Amino acid sequence: MLRPGRIAWLFVFLVIQAVAMLAIPTLSAEIIDNGVATGNIDYILKYGGIMVAVAVAGFIGSILNVYFASTESQRVGAKLRNPLFDKILNFSNEEIDKFGTSTLMTRTTSDVLQIQQALVMILRFMILDPLRIIVAATLAFTREPRLAVVFVIIVPVLIVSIIFILRKVNPLFRSLQIKTDRLNRVFREGLTGIRVIRAFNREDYEEERFAEANEDYAQTATSAQTYMALTNPLMILLTSATSILIIWFGAQYVSIGEMEVGNLVAFTSYSTNILMGIMMLSNIITMIPRMQVAVERILQVLDEPNEIVDKERPATLDLDADEVELEFDHVDFSYPGTSKLALEDIDFSVKDGEKLAVIGGTGTGKSTLANLIIRLYDIDSGSIEINGIDIRNMSQENLRNAIGFATQDARLFSGTIRENLTYGNEEASDEELWHALEVAQGADFVSELPEGLGARVEQGGDNFSGGQRQRLSIARALVTDARILVFDDSFSALDFKTDADLREALEPETTDKAVIIIAQRISTVIDADEILVLEGGKLVGKGTHEELKENNEVYQEILESQMKGEDI
Amino acid sequence: MAKNDKETSDMGVRKANNFFGTVARLLRYMSTRLWALVAIVFFAAGSAIFAAFTPSVLGQATTEIFEGFREGMALREAGQTVDVFPIDFDAIRRIVLILVILYVLEAVFRYLQRYITAVVSQRTVYDLREDLKAKLGTLPIEYFDTHSVGDVMSRAVNDMEQISNTLQRSLSQFILAVVTFIAVLVAMLTVDVKMTLIVFVSIGLSALFIAFIAPKSQRQFAKQQRVVGELNDRVEEIYSGHTIVKTYNREDDEVSRLVEHSDELYETSWRAQFYSGIMMPAVNFARDLGIFAITLYGGFGVLQGVIPLGNVQAFIQYVNRFSQPVRQIAQLANSIQITVASVERVFELLDEEEMEDTEANRPVKDDTPYIVEFENVQFKYSDMENLLMTDFNLTVEEGQMIAIVGPTGAGKSTLINLLERFYDVNGGQIRYKGKDIRDIDREELREHFSMVLQDTWLFNGTIWDNIAYGNSDATAEDIQKAARTAYVDEFVRRLPRGYDTILNEESTNISQGQRQLITIARAFLADPEILILDEATSSVDTRTEALIQTAMENVLEGRTSFVVAHRLSTIQDADKIVVMDQGDVVEIGTHDELLAKEGFYADIYNAQFASPEDMSFA
Repeated sequence: MLRPGRIAWLFVFLVIQAVAMLAIPTLSAEIIDNGVATGNIDYILKYGGIMVAVAVAGFIGSILNVYFASTESQRVGAKLRNPLFDKILNFSNEEIDKFGTSTLMTRTTSDVLQIQQALVMILRFMILDPLRIIVAATLAFTREPRLAVVFVIIVPVLIVSIIFILRKVNPLFRSLQIKTDRLNRVFREGLTGIRVIRAFNREDYEEERFAEANEDYAQTATSAQTYMALTNPLMILLTSATSILIIWFGAQYVSIGEMEVGNLVAFTSYSTNILMGIMMLSNIITMIPRMQVAVERILQVLDEPNEIVDKERPATLDLDADEVELEFDHVDFSYPGTSKLALEDIDFSVKDGEKLAVIGGTGTGKSTLANLIIRLYDIDSGSIEINGIDIRNMSQENLRNAIGFATQDARLFSGTIRENLTYGNEEASDEELWHALEVAQGADFVSELPEGLGARVEQGGDNFSGGQRQRLSIARALVTDARILVFDDSFSALDFKTDADLREALEPETTDKAVIIIAQRISTVIDADEILVLEGGKLVGKGTHEELKENNEVYQEILESQMKGEDI
Repeated sequence: MAKNDKETSDMGVRKANNFFGTVARLLRYMSTRLWALVAIVFFAAGSAIFAAFTPSVLGQATTEIFEGFREGMALREAGQTVDVFPIDFDAIRRIVLILVILYVLEAVFRYLQRYITAVVSQRTVYDLREDLKAKLGTLPIEYFDTHSVGDVMSRAVNDMEQISNTLQRSLSQFILAVVTFIAVLVAMLTVDVKMTLIVFVSIGLSALFIAFIAPKSQRQFAKQQRVVGELNDRVEEIYSGHTIVKTYNREDDEVSRLVEHSDELYETSWRAQFYSGIMMPAVNFARDLGIFAITLYGGFGVLQGVIPLGNVQAFIQYVNRFSQPVRQIAQLANSIQITVASVERVFELLDEEEMEDTEANRPVKDDTPYIVEFENVQFKYSDMENLLMTDFNLTVEEGQMIAIVGPTGAGKSTLINLLERFYDVNGGQIRYKGKDIRDIDREELREHFSMVLQDTWLFNGTIWDNIAYGNSDATAEDIQKAARTAYVDEFVRRLPRGYDTILNEESTNISQGQRQLITIARAFLADPEILILDEATSSVDTRTEALIQTAMENVLEGRTSFVVAHRLSTIQDADKIVVMDQGDVVEIGTHDELLAKEGFYADIYNAQFASPEDMSFA
């Protein structure tokens, strides 16, 4: 993911930076020891010049290092996001259901950001710090191995303490993440349910619930931070212990003439370099587990096999064929991970010019059936064919081009009304859009908007009512001019008059199309050529309204419930 | 699209409008913890001062060793044999003791400072959150209708997180940096004024550089924040609408659109990282130049005998120590800016206008036969120019079932908003048992009502708790009874965990219809005087609805109810059917009366049952 050439440059500049960092104090010491002490002005000026050159080199080196670290780390983010988009948008519903949209969202956004952030730190310091530690330690051991023994005592103490703190803190931070989620959830629920909360006078209860989550969060956060507060004083104590040990043992060695005083001063500076280096390193190391988790979560998505893939040489459905026929042949389907069949032995066919209706109670499998037509899931057994071609043998694009689908949740995207309507057919002219709106009974309210087709649609279509959204989503399906139209309970939020007008307007539009209407209202399905009655995932009736009302018990019940048995 | 981009970019630059005002207000907000703040400053100052002292004490030890060494060398040169140099170990022991005390004090002070900071910052954020939550309870429903959940959430979550992080990390760092800056400055001035000036100039150089870079870096960070927001919005929209994307074969287009956002993010985020990243090398460079200047100036001073060598060495150390707080403050400046903007946004929410208690002080009509009366009610939502309701009148007797029908946007839900006092009328009055409802406390008023809404709000908890929500005093028996009445019991028994089934965030583990049944059970449990059903059964299939209807007949008996419905079949038994259009009552009457009238109601009724003969069923 990282480009090796650029990383090599980054490393070169890093070394320049590190060398300059250690060279400046050394040069300054040289000037004082050799120049000032001996009164050698030439020496002072010469080394002074070198010093400035080194400082400039170090500055340029570190700026270039920052440049490469910034571009490379952020580039990795983009390189991770792009395949994720591609992968996730090509997931079938099975994989989406398995992960859940909210986690897929955090994985593409905050997990990637986390990796970028950690990477910047690693590229800038992870290499610099070990370099610094190694150089300082080498110098210390070559100069005075006996005194260097001090590090043998201090460094393990430091490392053990860091591990101790991290062990305490890491689980706390992890549980903090869960508590943050909970806190936010309770807050969000309080927002979305504000009407219900007020209607039931439960404000106090909500505040208590929130206070509890808030307190829980605050306590965990405080104890995590309390442990983190230990790191600073720990560092002070260890560096000072080092200094004292160096002074104490150094004095002994000097007194018996086995050590020079100058080394004593040098040693103190090495010790600071080593301990600070370890400390900085531990800071960065704490980022690694978090980054690891993020990487794992992303890889999980990228490695997830896609259940629905196009055949290598898919059969092609002729979209302009004279006739079109959709056929379900003894289809069984169960949702992944469940053993119970959601649909069992579904068998029917519908041709152009025909109108097929599906009716049944909630949870009887009506929407599932619709989702199978556009192959959001694959069936267990049987087959679904269009003009004799199994939909699993065609490309998904080909299949979906053949179908205009108005979903149950009439979801719109942010943008303009025009952008939403042309979503399935970018070439559609405004005239065609207005025509589709006429049919979908949406022309009135759209023409009343000051900006007409250019009017803004907010995220989720929030600035339109449920009924308006449904009409727009029906129009969107009509604009595709597909030969098979599926309306998945898309008339439910319309009042009866609009519903009736819409169906009437639809009639002349669909003479060469196969129409499938999924509904709960008898009035919506009454004029269909064939009505399927679903109950518990099974087909319990099939026929026209007249036939079903005579001989189908379930249909009769539905009918009765909607007529309330009144004789009118 | 272009228009939207512009709007969000204006919003995206999150700069505080009133930096110092907001900071002052935050400090006032924290003033209840004044002592803790004082303690933080005290301990920070203490540890900084101890830290400033220790190098010179350590230096004394080195000097002692050096003295002993020199003395020994002198004796050697004088011809004596010296096995052990005469180092004053007693003096060194004393110095080490002082050092130990200083170091331990520094460490203890530093710990106390960080500990108190942790507690204070967490508690402050806790308070802010509580206040924000409490504030929501006092805002009118209008606020929630006009502000998106996302907007409020981003204040409560993102801004709050920013504040919490900054208080936690930056507050103590900032105090420490300022104190260190002052302490080192004082220490330098006591040693040599001219060399202090040199240090000052060199550090000033880096300050200039930072002043040049910081605005660039801030601009990039602001832009980055905006682009991240846009990307997240788009990702959310596309992921949750992926079925639509698939249906219309738009996967590739959406991917390339997202990649565009992603690339834009790359362009701004590396720049943001770069500009903020070069501040540290810049300060280091200025520090190196400082060391160079001190070495030269000091070197010549020593040669001329006007500056002691020790002072030069001390100043080289000081350049180091002085540049550190400057660098820290530079790094903190950016996050402090962002944080103050966040604080401002939170305060903005806390300052939103609260619900007014506009008491009407109207006389109570004692002898009214009506439980609810609407009299000449005028109403408009604040974003409307014209009145939605110009003169709305309705009387309801106790025990009556009032059905409200009409096309979308006719004002059916408005009626309920007014009844529950989510909004107050602009003119006329609504009376409950003769008393103007504005003269009744909102909570008290709502105790008489129970409501089931079209959008089914359930919280993350068990089914049991969600039903029990309707009435905190209900017994287990009551709950079960309500569940049975609303036909919740039936499907709950089939769930593996029964009533303990936890409804997940989007409640995807039960169907929309089942969600509605639960909310109906909740309303039953509340056992109110007046029941309001707003499209309560729209997602329930008609047979289940018929079952609920039977159950409701029992519950509704002797109870006043308002029923808003699309399905005319559900309301034919109503005592009064109110037909609304464009905010006004078009017709009122019973089903039969209205049909006979052959007006608006008859029209929609006939549309619903297209061919009555076909439907006749016996």
